Amino acid sequence: MIITLYDFELSGNCYKLRLLMNILNVPYAIHPVDFFPGREHKADWFLRLNPFGQLPVLKDDDLVLSDSGAILVYLAKKFDTSGQWFPDDPAVTAEILRWHAVADDITATSSAARLALGYSYPFDIEKSQMGAHRIFRILDEHLWFGEKSGRDWLCAPAHPTTADIACFPYVMLSEEGGIGRQDYPALRRWTDRVRRVPGFTVMSGIFPAGPAKS
Amino acid sequence: MPLSLSDPTWYPIASSEDLPFRHVYHGQLLGRELAVWRADDGNVNAWENRCLHRGVRLSIGINEGQELKCQYHGWRYANRSAGCTYIPAHPADAPARRIENRKYPVREAFGLIWSAANDDQPFAPFPGAEDHDWFALRPVPVNATPEDVLAGLSRLAPDDQPVEFIPGRAVTLGSAHFFVQPVDAARSVIRGILPEKPADEIATLRYYNEQLTKLRDSLERAAAKKPAPEPLQPVFEKVSVELSTMPDIAVPRGNTFPVVVKRKWQSADGVIGFELADRDGKHLPTFQPGAHIDVHLPNGLVRQYSLTNGPGDLMSYTIGVKAESASKGGSKVLVETVREGDVLAISEPRNNFPLRRDATRTVLIAAGIGITPLLSMARFLDKSSLNYELHYFARASETMAFSSELDVLHGRADRHIGLTREAIKAKVAEVLGQYQFANHVYICGPGAMLEMVQETATALGWPDEAVHFEYFQNDKTIDASSAFDVELARSAMTLHVPAGRTILETMREAGLTVPSSCEQGACGTCLTGVIEGEVDHQDVYLNKTEKASNTCMMTCVSRAKSGRLVLDI
Repeated sequence: MIITLYDFELSGNCYKLRLLMNILNVPYAIHPVDFFPGREHKADWFLRLNPFGQLPVLKDDDLVLSDSGAILVYLAKKFDTSGQWFPDDPAVTAEILRWHAVADDITATSSAARLALGYSYPFDIEKSQMGAHRIFRILDEHLWFGEKSGRDWLCAPAHPTTADIACFPYVMLSEEGGIGRQDYPALRRWTDRVRRVPGFTVMSGIFPAGPAKS
Repeated sequence: MPLSLSDPTWYPIASSEDLPFRHVYHGQLLGRELAVWRADDGNVNAWENRCLHRGVRLSIGINEGQELKCQYHGWRYANRSAGCTYIPAHPADAPARRIENRKYPVREAFGLIWSAANDDQPFAPFPGAEDHDWFALRPVPVNATPEDVLAGLSRLAPDDQPVEFIPGRAVTLGSAHFFVQPVDAARSVIRGILPEKPADEIATLRYYNEQLTKLRDSLERAAAKKPAPEPLQPVFEKVSVELSTMPDIAVPRGNTFPVVVKRKWQSADGVIGFELADRDGKHLPTFQPGAHIDVHLPNGLVRQYSLTNGPGDLMSYTIGVKAESASKGGSKVLVETVREGDVLAISEPRNNFPLRRDATRTVLIAAGIGITPLLSMARFLDKSSLNYELHYFARASETMAFSSELDVLHGRADRHIGLTREAIKAKVAEVLGQYQFANHVYICGPGAMLEMVQETATALGWPDEAVHFEYFQNDKTIDASSAFDVELARSAMTLHVPAGRTILETMREAGLTVPSSCEQGACGTCLTGVIEGEVDHQDVYLNKTEKASNTCMMTCVSRAKSGRLVLDI
């Protein structure tokens, strides 16, 4: 059995899966897809894998999955022996799915601004940036009050979940879309914490954090 | 009141809790971006948010505890001074010139971090500040002019309660104080504090957060209808050419400054520790691991002592002095006559013994008082979690200095006590092992030890560039039998140097003021440019390549092979 990730190196959504597989120590092969400038995700062979024409796609034996959030849950349920990344608790599950939806909103705004600025996509830059700032404000408030009540992560109190992985990349890459994070100190501190998760790995534009130990 | 780039007012720029362990906070005041970080010793730094090298934001850098590392090319800057301590692209060189980032004044008080655009005003607490243990609310950034935000805050007051404006764009509403941080012409942050911790913290924080968020939304709606003022245009000074190029050889500076002996203590049998601090409690100049200072002694002598301090540790320098040193009575004066509270003149730190931080394995070998620079190196490597091992050789355990400082290191620090000469040699060979790529060894101790380790390393395949050492004295026998002329190009005079006299002495007799220190070819102070003639090098300061270049010399011991030397002096 071998997992294949249909991957574009500069995609934050693909990076979500590389990140969780690295953390869970899951071996996988990469099948590069030329998203830009080749638009290979709209090629016939790719549309047969995912008719929505979106990256990433993950193949596990004969199983073909798409949507980064759905794949994160699949990987957590299948490979996470600790049960932390997608816990069974009904309330926590609901919270995680809620923040997976926020992650898609971040993609629709922060990632759109990045694609418009860096990859010439015809998106409304100002609207995308304002949308991202609106979400970041709520995220910062949620995380600020989380810190005050002993919750360092988006959902469960003591550990990160797939929600943190799902929201992380396009928060970190927001500067590439002209969206500063200066006004969101709690959000910035949370990105430090995510970058200190054991097994964390980087992508272009996402730097590691130094160790938080003396 | 329009915003001014030179406004000297102190404004809050962050909450204390915005600076957790090993974090870099991204702030802004009056148009200038700031990288704000707390060092492990608790000190808060507020720096211009760009690396002097390529202008990348330091707020995305790494807080290494006592140094901030730029994310782009790894330049490291020291806590307090913001001086550059290491440039990875030049791992074998000390960044000797004053590469120092722009700093802003900073204070931590009343639950907040305060800063100002310049040093024109001393920090003054607002009225009544000292009477309470303040509790910070959640800061709320607002995209509106500081003036409009202040006006909006004052409208929050109930009709029967007067609004009191306090200096520095702030109002009190009941017992709550609200400060408006002027981020830029059209951007502000509301920072509120309460005089004490409320009974139900979360409920109180939620209450104020909701009030301020509503205010923010209404202020931003109003601001959207008005033309936004132009952002402030801070002028950023360019980095000078001198700062942006690497020095070839560290040219010593002649300047000294006074320090007070803060503490003098017996660190071990025969070793006295001296802690030297600024008289006004300011931080001392930046140093790199391996650096030494010249200490000007009451009897007129000048002696070199290595600093033992760790990274960003600039509130005092700690040196170790061997009590029974026979070196021309220098150390004796320090040990016997200098007391706590005395003032000494010292030079700025110089580094002839720079530490590479790109080794896969670093071996530090100290003998006796030679522990001092290696303790500093171990502390730097320790803080950056780099791989190192320290081997400390001494005759007896009572003579091992800085023992408690060594105990708190996380890395390997082995003590080797009372070994015979042969046993020391065998142990050194064992710890060095066969040379492997990117291994480096640093040695400090008596001349015989230095030579033994160098020979052993060479025999085990270690190349010269991987073996680092620093001489504090020149044990070579100086051959002063030659006689020759020196032509001093800039002073326009020619002098005859007879056998038995040094160039330095001859120049001084002719009335020239020439800096010198050890006068035995070890410290580098009398380094002089050579324009013509062949030099007879007898020092231990210059390395083989520098000697072969025939472009510089130490006038205290070296002489001429030719009949005439032309010096750039």
